[in-house]
Amino acid sequence: MSQTNRALNRILLALAGLVLLAAGAATAAAGMMPGVAASWAATGSSLMDHAGSLLDSAPLPGPARSWWAVAGVAALIVAAGLSIAWLASQGGGRTPRVGRQADGDRGTTVVETGLIAAAVKQALEGNRLVLGTSVSAWESRGKTGLRLRLQARQGASPREIADTAEDLVQGIDALLGHPLPVLVRITSGTKTMVAGPDRAR
Amino acid sequence: MNQDRSLRRLVRREIHSSRATASVLTASVLAVVFLWLALESVLALLRDNPVLASPGQLGHWLAGVPDKTIPAGLVAAGAALAVLGLVLLAAATAGGRRSRHAFHSDRSAVVVDGEVIASAVSRRARLSAGLAPGQVTTTVSKRAVRVQVRPTSGVAVDRDAIVTAVHDELAAYSLDRRIAPTIHVSKEGALGQ
Repeated sequence: MSQTNRALNRILLALAGLVLLAAGAATAAAGMMPGVAASWAATGSSLMDHAGSLLDSAPLPGPARSWWAVAGVAALIVAAGLSIAWLASQGGGRTPRVGRQADGDRGTTVVETGLIAAAVKQALEGNRLVLGTSVSAWESRGKTGLRLRLQARQGASPREIADTAEDLVQGIDALLGHPLPVLVRITSGTKTMVAGPDRAR
Repeated sequence: MNQDRSLRRLVRREIHSSRATASVLTASVLAVVFLWLALESVLALLRDNPVLASPGQLGHWLAGVPDKTIPAGLVAAGAALAVLGLVLLAAATAGGRRSRHAFHSDRSAVVVDGEVIASAVSRRARLSAGLAPGQVTTTVSKRAVRVQVRPTSGVAVDRDAIVTAVHDELAAYSLDRRIAPTIHVSKEGALGQ
């Protein structure tokens, strides 16, 4: 339920993949065809000369020596910043509160996720099919949504657990007074492995 | 209708990978490389000693790579780079579906691990045929459920009962995407069950 921009991830990964693929193809071609190797070396040295004359073309007093050098460093820092921004855009959106209502000048009511978590935990106490629960709230497109994770016992019918979850969601709706979008996840986990299957009923 | 669309979005995002791991790895490498290049450039401007190589040295090295490396080495390096590129391209374009299935629900988005479905189907099939734990194994994939039954040696197994039980169990899930069960009863039985 996180706010990760998935389309952006895929576009940037595709770009990185294409760049690597092109670099790999060029390197392999240089290994297989002497002509490519020669033109690589020629292009490389001419680019170096070009960069040298470019650096001299816009001199700057002081240690930096050239505007172009400053621009190059700035471009590198911007590129690093964009990479870090991409890194930081993963995940996010988790919120500790499920609801918030301002009541004029009398104050604000905030409902925290812990309330729902405790209610769910209590409701499922003694349930043989569900081994563990976790509740988290996520903000997505300006709306708060609830993620309800139920760990199933080995062999437990997910239909029964889904029906239990449906009841839970009705209870949560009644508790909060307004329906939230809910994601119910029925998972297996470490507890599933450790607890073993239920005896036949 | 709006509610429906947001539920479908929740299900879709839960079932498909966000490609966060690949993105985090790529972005970290890019950030480190760019920061290092920036540091080297600044050090070169201040006429300080480079950390690994100054931009000038780096440029000369890059230009001289084909001359200084043996062709086989170049081909191998190129192939390695290309494979890495292909891996990233695959991550960008493949579906990235996880082993999860959506149950139909009007109120909420319900997404169940394939593993949970597999163990429930196994148990249902096992109970319907009166077999011991471990005699039925189930694998759940995108569109198919494969139930493998190992009968007790010398005791015929009621195949029809298992087929009905598995169909009933799967029908009860009202999966958003139908998955077809196949049931295999192995010829060799299990001893001592």
